[in-house]
Formats: sequence, structure tokens, C-alpha cells
Amino acid sequence: MINPGSSSSIAETANSSSDYIIEMRSISKAFGAVRALHNVNFNLRPGEILGLVGDNSAGKSTLMKCLTGAYQRDDGDVLVENQSTDFSNPHESRDRGIEMIYQDFALCGNMDVGQNIFLGRWPRKGFFLNRRKMYEDAYAVLQRLKVDVNSVYQKVESLSGGRQQSVAIARAISFEPKVVILDEPTANLSVMATERLLETMLELKKHNVAQVIISHRLTDIFQVGDRVMVLKRGENVGERLVADTTEHEILGIIVSGTPENAQNVETV
Amino acid sequence: MDRQPNSFWGGWEIGLVVLMVLLYIGGVMLNPRFFGSADAFLAILRDAARFGTMAVGMSFVIVNKDLDLSVGSTYGLVAIVFSMVFSPTVYDLGVVPAIAICVAVGMGIGLINGVLVTYLQVPSFIATLTMLFIGRGMVLALSGGKTIGYDIKAKNYDIFSIGETNALGFNNQILIFIAVAAIGAIVLARTRWGYETFATGGNALAADYAGISTKKVRIRAYMISALCATLAGLMAMAQDKTVTSQYGLGYELIIIASVIVGGASILGGRGRVIGSCLGAVLIVVIDKVLREGVPIQRVIKIGDTEMVVNAMAQLPPGAVPAFLGMILLFAVLIEPVLIRGKLLERIRARLTGKPVPPAPDIDSVAIEGTQTYGSRASARAMRVKGLASFVHRRDAAAIILMVGLWTVGFWLRPDFWGSLDNSFNLMLAFTEVGFLSIGLTFVIANGDIDLSVGAVLALSGATAAFFMKTLGADPLLAVTIAFFAGTLAGVVNGVLVTRFALPAFVATLGMFYMARGLGAWMVAGRQLSGFPEEFNLVGRKVIELLRYLGIAPESGLIHDIAAAVSVQSLIMFAIAIAAGIVLGFTPIGQMVLATGGSRRAADYSGINTNRVRFRALVFSAMCASLAGIIYIAFFRSFNPQAGQLRELDAIAAVIIGGGSIFGGYGSILGSLAGAAVIALIRALLSLQIFLSDGSSFVMPQHWVSVFIGLILIAAVLGDIWFRQNRILSVMATRLGLKRAGPEIDDD
Repeated sequence: MINPGSSSSIAETANSSSDYIIEMRSISKAFGAVRALHNVNFNLRPGEILGLVGDNSAGKSTLMKCLTGAYQRDDGDVLVENQSTDFSNPHESRDRGIEMIYQDFALCGNMDVGQNIFLGRWPRKGFFLNRRKMYEDAYAVLQRLKVDVNSVYQKVESLSGGRQQSVAIARAISFEPKVVILDEPTANLSVMATERLLETMLELKKHNVAQVIISHRLTDIFQVGDRVMVLKRGENVGERLVADTTEHEILGIIVSGTPENAQNVETV
Repeated sequence: MDRQPNSFWGGWEIGLVVLMVLLYIGGVMLNPRFFGSADAFLAILRDAARFGTMAVGMSFVIVNKDLDLSVGSTYGLVAIVFSMVFSPTVYDLGVVPAIAICVAVGMGIGLINGVLVTYLQVPSFIATLTMLFIGRGMVLALSGGKTIGYDIKAKNYDIFSIGETNALGFNNQILIFIAVAAIGAIVLARTRWGYETFATGGNALAADYAGISTKKVRIRAYMISALCATLAGLMAMAQDKTVTSQYGLGYELIIIASVIVGGASILGGRGRVIGSCLGAVLIVVIDKVLREGVPIQRVIKIGDTEMVVNAMAQLPPGAVPAFLGMILLFAVLIEPVLIRGKLLERIRARLTGKPVPPAPDIDSVAIEGTQTYGSRASARAMRVKGLASFVHRRDAAAIILMVGLWTVGFWLRPDFWGSLDNSFNLMLAFTEVGFLSIGLTFVIANGDIDLSVGAVLALSGATAAFFMKTLGADPLLAVTIAFFAGTLAGVVNGVLVTRFALPAFVATLGMFYMARGLGAWMVAGRQLSGFPEEFNLVGRKVIELLRYLGIAPESGLIHDIAAAVSVQSLIMFAIAIAAGIVLGFTPIGQMVLATGGSRRAADYSGINTNRVRFRALVFSAMCASLAGIIYIAFFRSFNPQAGQLRELDAIAAVIIGGGSIFGGYGSILGSLAGAAVIALIRALLSLQIFLSDGSSFVMPQHWVSVFIGLILIAAVLGDIWFRQNRILSVMATRLGLKRAGPEIDDD
């Protein structure tokens, strides 16, 4: 299905598979009798923003969890920068530069912003914590991301949803990742916070960070995304460049797409 | 349409019956004289009738995903209250008012339990554990430790026949049990009440959305449980016609074990009344087998002649709970390990060399998240300066209380309170609670709990005493072994909690009984004393240690300090400082707080939360072991009651000191202040107060435990409602006394 060598509208940027930062081939995953993923292909280029869409139980999150190692795939290959990988947990994929930001942000509410950004890898000075460095670095990361959080000393649970997400993103960015996966990032955000998030995503794109948004909100994907991939019942049913498609067309694929009619952008 | 599945019993229940029959046959073979007779069989059924009745009520609570540790003390309290009201030597009322008062007591306990865990959001194990201790304290206080009987008066009332053997040759209690079991089984399996219970235990949120008042369902279950305990208590009174303060001691363990063995899940949503009843009979059979002992023949040499004597090999008193605790833990593990973990299939596959089926797909990081509520309070704390910022500290309450209580003591007894003697005694009481609370601070900050600290204290004390006294071991060796024995208990706790994913309160509850039972077993239930004096130096003042070493100054400042400070206080402060630095200033401490704040977030960020929790439980057991060793050195003897109720003191100290029962908070300084508060309260309660008319007054010792239980509940409630939900400012805002504060954030 994937035919990277063919001429396409984005052939200038993708003329060989070596351009992919992530390539997943024929991924299958079943939970008992339930077939969650069946021969799914997925790829991602550096600095690209990909929208991963589909109905509930389409397999979007499962596919991403197979990528990060939270789930173990039953079949298929995962290549990161053209190297075959077999992550057994999310920590291993993080070491290869893949970060996932969870829908509930996975922060510790009882700790402050600085402590959360460096959760689990607090800078140390010998046996002790290096608090000064921690807060300085946390401040620097927040600056780089151009988000304003009142204070790095504020407890995370006193922050609003949008600000909490900024902390989660700042945390992800502080690992200097190559790929960031955002699971339903706008689901719990106000309109203003969503706008800020989308700005942050474009900022990350400037730093050549590839991003995957799992979302139901096509509007957001069309605002910042480069490409949309549609899953349905655990199978690829279509893929479009944002520049070449409309929300209406994508909705049509989500509702009535079939694997037989699936088209890869490179084969359009 | 297919036939409806049977909702009353299944394969599990059949298995229980088979196991029971096998066990009984085993009992008959071991001890034919006791188990072989029909009387014995009926006696077992008679005793099981009371446990089974209580298990019916407990089934509702456990299916609801709750726990009721107070049934044993409810049973005892009802027995005492009935006896006191009915007995000609006390109030001498009729049978009807006596029963009415007992039912009111039972319903009251059930209602308090229910309201605490639902409306007041206190975790069920902590609410009902406190209720257990308050109930036991009241049993002791009311009875004054004496026996109350009413044998002769009871002959005039027919109602006492419910506890006696009927014309058919068996006890009427068995009939009551069968009736209660039948009603309970139908209610749980076939009525709305039962369906509401399963929905609440399966998914409380979904049940709430579906319009089921889960709070009402949970309160109802607690009341059913308390009423069943009341009925069981009355059955016992009808049978025995006399009561001691030991009634119902440790019954909660038997009842919970029965329900879990009967197939209910400690995680809620699953269980059947028939299974629980069979579980109760099974546990009673096991209990009887353990207690009755095995007849053996012993050869005794008198002079030159050898005599064969018939004897019974029996467990010493207090040792049986060790087995029951173990059974409880095994029963809880059956479901996750044996059934969901497919243990048997995996073993079979390994033995036959076939490919091992994969372990169930446990999402390694998607563990249920724990929530903390401390946020709004701490956000406000950032804006205030000076004195106000002190009040916003989480340990402020402990420090203010500590100063306040000391002042109260000084005001009550200015002649005595400030004296060196009293300060020394306060310090000693403080040291014991302090030791336990240092370890517990880590466990509670992790979001776990360790209910076994008092029992581990007893285990390590018993081990040290046993090795020194019975085996004549060198003190250093004995201390080392005792320390390792206590630590091992912590390792077992840690393995159960992390490797087998048991909730910490269940694992440590099992250890609570096991450790104390093992300790009692080792010393055969007796008090041991007469240890080498160089060992006892651990529990003495510093000056005595210096004298022993021959370097004691005769006078001067050092002499005075050494005469006022004890060795144990020094050890405690050294450990406290080290633990305080680790918790407050190192990544290890941050890992603990992160794990308690959100285990999922901590896991995602690469913290090995299981290792963090394991270490905390082991450290807690280490602190408790040290406390146990020091305990026997200080008293120069070991008493099987050592450390009893101490878990309450220590948990209360940590919570008063700023820890949250939901995890994520806690500091050593705060916990030590909390320990000081507890020590001061105990000292104040036992203070002899001189009234203006010259008479004096001392609070009876039994009421002190009741009071400590109340303090613990007050501390937990204060933490949940004042520190975390800021109920005062919420109420003030609602009443319009205060303008609603500006939103912290603008989104």
C-alpha cells in the first residue's frame, strides 16, 4: 500500500522511506476476541502535523499505544528512523524521542509546575535535589514554549485545564522529543485555550517536531494539520493532505469509508 | 429463551462444600474424640450460625466495594449492652427494652459507619477500623473488664430458647441462620436492593448516573451488616447468658475471610450470600481444627521409669489469628492470581512443556489514578505572607495543637506538668509513636496505608525476647534477628501490594493478624522478662549508657542533659532527621510524593512506583521493628499486648501532621508534631486533676482508647473537609458572608 517512491503532491519532501521518522507496517492487535487493529499502516515525517481521526473504537489510541509500547502489537513492524524497534513500555520509546501527552495530562496535582515538568528526573546535586536548577530550567522551557504559567511554584491542581496541558506539553518538550503524540488534546479545553494550544503546536512544528493529534474535532486538525489519516474499525480507510481536502470529505470517509476504497496520499 | 443462570450458587459454592467435607474428615482423623461425635458437628454448626449471620450482612458491604471492620466490636458491644440492661445486677429491665436498646445501638453504629464513608468521604477501612477500636474500648469501659451474668433471671423468659437446643436435637440458632441466609440470598440475588448493590460495587459512578443513590445503598449495607452483627450478638447472649469483655474479639477477620473465601471480590461488584455462608462454616471448621489441637503421646521420664502420657498438641493462645490472617490473604489472592492470572493453566503448560499461555494483558501503566484535593488550599497559600502563611501550612494544625495542649496541661497541673519527670515521660511516649509515624509518613504519602505497624512492633519484640530468654542468644544476635523478622513482615506487605496488586489496607490487615499471632505463638502467650542488662540499656537514659561505658561525667551540663534524655529518643531523632532529609530534599522523597499524587503520572514519567511503594512499606516495618526492640528494653519485658492500638496513634499522628489519607502529602516534621499531639493527649487524659473541692479525678484507662479513636476520625475528617475542601470558606461564601473569591485562573 505504501508506495513512497511514486510521484505525489508531496514527493518533494518524501522521495524515499528514509524520510519517515516513524513507519508502522501491517500492525495487528487483538484484545481477546476483539480485533482492535488489522493490518494498519502508518507513517510520519519530521516536522509534520498529522491528524488521526475516526469514530470511537476505530483504534486510534490503540495504534498510538502500540507505537509507544504501552501495548504490545500482535503482528507488524514499527520503524523509528528506519530502525526496527520493539518497545516493551513507554519509557523505552521516550528514550527514542517519542512523547505522548495523555488526555488527562498525567500530572501530579499535589506537586508544583517545576516538579511536574521534571517529574521522575528531578535534577540533583549529589544526593540532594537541585531545586534552583529545576525551577530555572522549568522556567526556560515554559519561555521557549511561549506559554504563560503564573509561577513555576504553583501547584498543578490549582491550574485550569488549559494551563495544566501547557505543563504537560512543557514536560514533553523538555525531553527534546522528535515526535509528540497528543491524545484528544482539545477535548477538555475552552475555545481560548484551544487557540493557545494550536499556536503552541505550530511553534513546535518550527522546531521540526513531528506531531500526531488524535481528535474528534476536525476543525482543529484543519487549522494546523498537514495530513489526515482515517481509521475505521481498526483498519485504514483513507488518507488526505489537508490542503487537498475538506472537512466534509473527511467526515464522509469516517462514516462510510471502506478499506477497499482507501487511498494513500501518495497514490492519489 | 435459554434458562436463566442460577444466581444463588455456582461451581465455587460446590467446591467449598467439597473442601469442607474433606477438611472435616481430616479433623475426624486427627482428633476422632472431638470431631467424630454428632454433638461436635452440631456445635460447629451452632457456632457457624452466628458467624454466618454476620457474613450475610458483610456480603452486602463487600459487594458494595466497602469494608466493615467494626462487626466484631458491634457484636461485643451488643452483648455487653444486652447483659447490662437485662442483668439483675445492673439495670434489671425486661427483655423487650434490652433488645430494643441493642437494635438501636446496632443501627446507630451502622448509620455512623455509613455516613462516615459516604457523606464524609472517609475511606471505609479507616472509618470502620476506628469504629472497631472505639467499640472495643467501650466494651472494656462498660464492663470494666468484669463478667456479667443473668443465668437465673433468664429462666423466666421463653425467648432465650432461641439460643438453646430444640426438641429435634439441634440448636435453634441454626434455624435463625438458615432463615437469615435465605432472606439475604434472595434480597441480594433477586431484588432491586441487590441489583443496586451490585451496580454500586461494580461502578459507583455509572450507578449514580443511572439514578441510583449510591450513598443510600452503601449506608443501607452498613446498617444491614451492623444489624446482622446485632442479631448474632443477641444469639450469643441467648445461648451463653453471661458476657465477658472478650466477646467478638477478632471476629471481623473471620467474617471478612468468610465472605472472600465465599467468592466475593474485595474490589466489589461480585459475591453471593450462599457462598459467604459456606465460607463462614468453612472458616469455623478451620478455626476449630486449629484450636482443638491433636492428641499426642508424650514420654515423660520420672526417675528411671518412662511413662506415656496422653496430651494435646495445641496452638498457644493468640496464635490462631496468624493462620486466619494468612487465609484471608490467600482468599483475596485467589481471584487475581488463580483465576484472572490463569495460574493453573500456566503451571500445567510449564509442566507438560507446552507453550505457556500469555499472562493477561495488564496495561502496565494504565493503573487507576488517585486524586488529590489539596490544590485550592495551596494556591491560596502562595498569596499570603507572614503569620497567615504559617496557618496555611499543612502541618500548622499539629504545631498549634502541640503548643495548645502543652499549655492546657500546664494550666491543669502547674505543679507537675513542667517537671523534668513528666517531660521525660512525655518524651518516651512521644518516641514510640514517633518511630511508627516516621515510617508511616512515607507509606501514607505514597497513597498506601500500613495497618500492621503495631503488630510488627509486637512481632519484633517477641522475636528479640524469645531469642534472648528462651534460646539464650546473645543480645546483639537477638536484636539483629528481631529486626530482620520485622523487616520481613514489611517485605511480605510490599510483595503483596506491588507484586500481587493487593490494596495496601488488605495486605497490611492480613499482616496485622499474622504478625501479632506469630509473636504470641513464639512467646506462647506469656510475658517474658529478665533480659541481659546491657540490652536493656537501649531503653534507658543516656546517663546510664555512659555509666555502663564508664565515661559518665559526675556533674555539669552534659550530666544533666544525659540524665534527662533517653537513648531511644536519640535513636528516634537520628532516624527522623535522616528520613526528613530524604523526604524533603532528595529525589527519593519527590518520587514518594509523586507516587502519592498520581500513580499513573509517576509511572508514565518513568518512576518505578512499585519500587517506591515497596521500599516505603519495608521502611515502615523497619521503624516498627526498632520500636519493638526498644519497647522490650524499656519495659525489661515483653507482653503479647505490646503495641496494640498503636497503629491508630501513628496513623492519627501522620494525618494530624499534614499527611493526607489519599496520599501525596506528608512531612516528617509534621508527623513528629502529630506524634507529640497524640502523646500529649494521652498524657492529659491520664492526668490526675484536682477539683476545687479537693477531690481528684482520673479518666479511666479504657475510655482513653475510645478517645484516641475519636481523635483519629476527627483528624481524617479535618484533613478531608478543612484542609482539602475548605468547607468553612465554602459555607461562608454560600451564606453570603464572604464574596466569592476571584477565580484562580482565567480560562
